[in-house]
Amino acid sequence: MLMTSDIRGGTVFKSGDDVVVVQRMLGIKAGRAGQVKKLRVKNILTGQTSELGLDMGEKFEEVHLDFHKMKLSYVDGDTYIFMDQESFEQYELSKEDLGDNVGYITPEDDFEVEVAFYDEKPVSVTLPTAIVRTITYCEPGIKGDTSGKTQKPATLDTGIQVSVPLFCEIGTKIKLDTRDGSFIERVK
Amino acid sequence: MRIDILCKVVDNFGDIGFVYRLARALSELGAGIELRLIVDDLSAFHAIFPGVDPTKDLQVLGTWTILSWGLPSELVRMERPRIVLECFACGRPDWYEDILFDPSDSERRTILSVEHLTAEPWAVEFHRLVSATRSALVRKWMFMPGFQAGTGGLIAEKGLEARIASWRDPASRPRLRLELAGSAGVALPLAAEDSYWLTVFSYEHDYSRIVSELADFASTRPLLVLVAAGRSSVCFVDAWRGAGEAFPIVKLPFLDQESWDEFLLASDFAIVRGEDSVARAALCGLPFLWHAYLQDGAHQVVKVRALLDRMWPHFGEGDFARYEELSIAFNDRLEDKPSVRGEESIISLLHRDLEIKEGFRAFSGELRQLGNLAANLVTFLGEIV
Repeated sequence: MLMTSDIRGGTVFKSGDDVVVVQRMLGIKAGRAGQVKKLRVKNILTGQTSELGLDMGEKFEEVHLDFHKMKLSYVDGDTYIFMDQESFEQYELSKEDLGDNVGYITPEDDFEVEVAFYDEKPVSVTLPTAIVRTITYCEPGIKGDTSGKTQKPATLDTGIQVSVPLFCEIGTKIKLDTRDGSFIERVK
Repeated sequence: MRIDILCKVVDNFGDIGFVYRLARALSELGAGIELRLIVDDLSAFHAIFPGVDPTKDLQVLGTWTILSWGLPSELVRMERPRIVLECFACGRPDWYEDILFDPSDSERRTILSVEHLTAEPWAVEFHRLVSATRSALVRKWMFMPGFQAGTGGLIAEKGLEARIASWRDPASRPRLRLELAGSAGVALPLAAEDSYWLTVFSYEHDYSRIVSELADFASTRPLLVLVAAGRSSVCFVDAWRGAGEAFPIVKLPFLDQESWDEFLLASDFAIVRGEDSVARAALCGLPFLWHAYLQDGAHQVVKVRALLDRMWPHFGEGDFARYEELSIAFNDRLEDKPSVRGEESIISLLHRDLEIKEGFRAFSGELRQLGNLAANLVTFLGEIV
């Protein structure tokens, strides 16, 4: 069984008779007994997308998926083409299917991702929990502030914005948690 | 329509207080509503509603059937759940889960996840949002109480408007206070029915500065502080003793919910905690200072600010600035304990008694326009069941 707390971008689970994949985490809020989440999900069987709210009390059936390690080969418009590193076969996923993960990967990356297959079709991508990216823009760094408690916005080489500690500068490489985009540490 | 209400008591009496209030308001709607309340702490339920016998795993009180969370119920197995209100993401007892998700049951079941009260904008986003379960026959939605349009509103029982009106009538207020104190077994100091009543019901807090300011306030007009039983009682009384007992106080016994509601209505100002009492104070137009439930990283301040955002249009600029400063100073902390120094100032706000009363009353008017949460909930059930 899958608990609500296990559900994140890319998770595939059974909602009633439907099989859905989480495309985006639209909001995670502090409810009374833990988080409440708002998700955008895609029904794998019908292709329809919808929004769902989840509290912490629910359990879901896991869906049998096949996972293949792949690398993002190239991007063609809104289509992301992944290559199986063993068979060299290529598979397409739409930008919408990748959801929030789009902001963390580029074809230049050397890390592999796991592409989930349902009924022999690629349905979602799971990234490594921690990845390294480079800051391409942020306000100048403040030396001496190493606490990390105060943060500022920074643009990454993938184009997304995240929050980073004040000491970060343009060109700084940072390790990020891909589950929520939070800063983990500076990479030397 | 049979509705099961599930409740796990986590924070003293706030959860069960909400559930009791909701059950009462649902029953008042009539419409053949039959309730089953499944509660994990019947002693807490008994404390706020003495009609409940904490020793009985199954009891019938009027149109309510009250069941113990811990004991599998044959009754629920015979009369299966069809509509379930899951309060504050309390989950479900295992035995109830088995019945609810029994694959041999071919009828549809509906769960509403009734979340906690918040003034944050996300309450609107999540209200009536479709949720999910592992069964196509068990459908679930989110239902958010709230302080703003687009939420389920707050619980308002029948006759509340009339009671608010009679408590606001200056001619009847002193008599009502005397009657209330008499019925609750509370001995009032002489002529205290005409005093300014300030009620204290919070979490642990350093009250030394507030008490010192109340002593100054008491030199300008007669003051009575009613100290509710519970976590703030010792802190307040210690601070009061430390300041030379400069004004009269009355220690309230533990009160059932109906008596507590009346003492709030009888007050001129209240320091309230949690969600149920703040909702009540806001709905009744009672000037209040909210002590929000402490959360990780002082997240309670976000919740306080969100409530302030709803309130400010009803206050003059200066009064709101004073109220905002007081509310944030009172709540911005990582721990609730009397050793964390309380720096907040209350006196300038109390001196603006008439003006702030107007503001709180106007806010309460807006809240009451949202409709009764119980009625809103039944209307929503009518749309989805």
